[in-house]
Amino acid sequence: MIYRGLGLKEKIISSIIISVATVSSLLLLAMLIFILRESWPIWSQIGVSGFLFGSSWRPLNTPPEIGILSMIVSTMWVAGGALLIAAPLGFGCAIFLAEFAPRPLAAILRPVINMLTGIPSVVYGFLGAAVLVKFFEVKFDLASGESLFAASLILAIMVIPFIVANSEAALRLVAPEYRHAGIALGVSRQYLTLRILVPLARKGMFGALVLAFGRAMGETMAVLMLAGNTLRLPGSWFDKGEPLPALIALELGSTTPGSSHHQALFAVGLVLVLMVIAVNIGINLLLNRLQKGG
Amino acid sequence: MKKAITDLLLLGWFWVSGLLILVILLAIIIYLIWRGGPFISSGFILESPGGFPLGTEGGIFPAIKGTLWLILLALVISIVPGLLTAIYLSEYGRSGRLAEIINLLVQSMAGIPSIITGLFVYALGVVTLGWGISLLAGGFALAIMVFPVIVVSSRDALLAVDENYRLVANSLGVSKSYTLYRVIFPRAAAGITAGLLLALGYAAGATAPIMVTAAAVIASSSGALLEPVMALPYHLYILFNEHLSMNHAYATALVLVGLLLFINILALSLSSLQERINRH
Repeated sequence: MIYRGLGLKEKIISSIIISVATVSSLLLLAMLIFILRESWPIWSQIGVSGFLFGSSWRPLNTPPEIGILSMIVSTMWVAGGALLIAAPLGFGCAIFLAEFAPRPLAAILRPVINMLTGIPSVVYGFLGAAVLVKFFEVKFDLASGESLFAASLILAIMVIPFIVANSEAALRLVAPEYRHAGIALGVSRQYLTLRILVPLARKGMFGALVLAFGRAMGETMAVLMLAGNTLRLPGSWFDKGEPLPALIALELGSTTPGSSHHQALFAVGLVLVLMVIAVNIGINLLLNRLQKGG
Repeated sequence: MKKAITDLLLLGWFWVSGLLILVILLAIIIYLIWRGGPFISSGFILESPGGFPLGTEGGIFPAIKGTLWLILLALVISIVPGLLTAIYLSEYGRSGRLAEIINLLVQSMAGIPSIITGLFVYALGVVTLGWGISLLAGGFALAIMVFPVIVVSSRDALLAVDENYRLVANSLGVSKSYTLYRVIFPRAAAGITAGLLLALGYAAGATAPIMVTAAAVIASSSGALLEPVMALPYHLYILFNEHLSMNHAYATALVLVGLLLFINILALSLSSLQERINRH
């Protein structure tokens, strides 16, 4: 690294690069601080538990009633339900790609997975609402077919590609010796995969699932168009609800800056982003420990 | 015997879930072509929305223009910080403490829901800085959204360049910036471009962040920074949500998906070109 001392020019270039990199990544913290500041009156007046566990959202009343329990519950139903549907299919597809798919078929499927992630959520939401919801209405004779379940179903399709890509990578990381030993022992391909490879890759596969959960929680458009948007506490998966992102998207435009309605939406944003970041940091700690352990 | 049945069922599960992915993509594309295809004409692409209420007739030209403006602006804002951050991570910081922190921040940024980015830009740009609902605010929100995409893809493209180039240049006494500019960058160019295209596609399809910062139901999308714009994904949402025209909604969705798949395929072929370059 002798050349580092050679030129002033090199020093200037490297310090520009370091400062730009640092400043742009710090934008994340700036966002969090800004959202915290905008929502501050809510936390100091209503309090954390009052806000999180209050079940009535009437921000325009005097005094305003601001609690987001039903939206948090909706978010959990929608995202958890999406994983329930996506996990078996995503894992199945990842195992298929890593172990069973004939080479030409795998060569087709991998770009297909990429293209599925390229389709925007508003298109998924639109197709879900125009086709799926219509189908529910006709089939089960409902007045309106929107529900948390419908949103979960479409979200599942949206997160499957992420589960597949990440779990396939985890399966491929398993050392080939295990495969060879299994084949030498004469167990079936399926037994080898489920009893040996999957347990060895389980942390990576679990990580894929958690990452998908974070995505599903923050997804806006599909949920907005499918979940039905009612502010009542959902009693089951087949009720309507309004997850946190949909609440922000629907109401932000109609608020007056400085009103408690406006501040409350920023508090909603803060809760959502902290939920997602907690999931992301959790997964990072998990993967770091995995790397150090292996 | 029982074991054989279990094995067969498992095999069935793997094949079905593998093929399902393909079926879903084909179903989406075929259905959109079937429902939207007949309504796509030169008039639909090149005319403004018309009829009463607006959008029931006419075309989507301002929405196409608005989306192009938005992604162009997002790219202009994010490309320099994105590339420099990637260069720092791959060439300067490597495994240092700061690089580790920046990596973590960028990764967390990639996980931030896009509506949160919209919320932030709404408070900062639209309200505090007085931009109003505008192209500028939307471009800024999309820029924040694609920044981590650009960083990660360019970083990985740079890191994939054979370490020997750096070692040889270093031992010849070539300066780091010159090596980067003349040796490393050209060898990673295809991969970096692929990443930029993916970022463009990602921005073009994003709805939530522009819904609260930039989009209008009707606008001329002239490219003026402080005017609201129309955008394809938001237009699709409005056409459906306000029950304006299902036919136009399907056609708009088809145009949007067609545009994004085109960008995606271009990016995929560039990354496979990059893989071939890396192997030599």
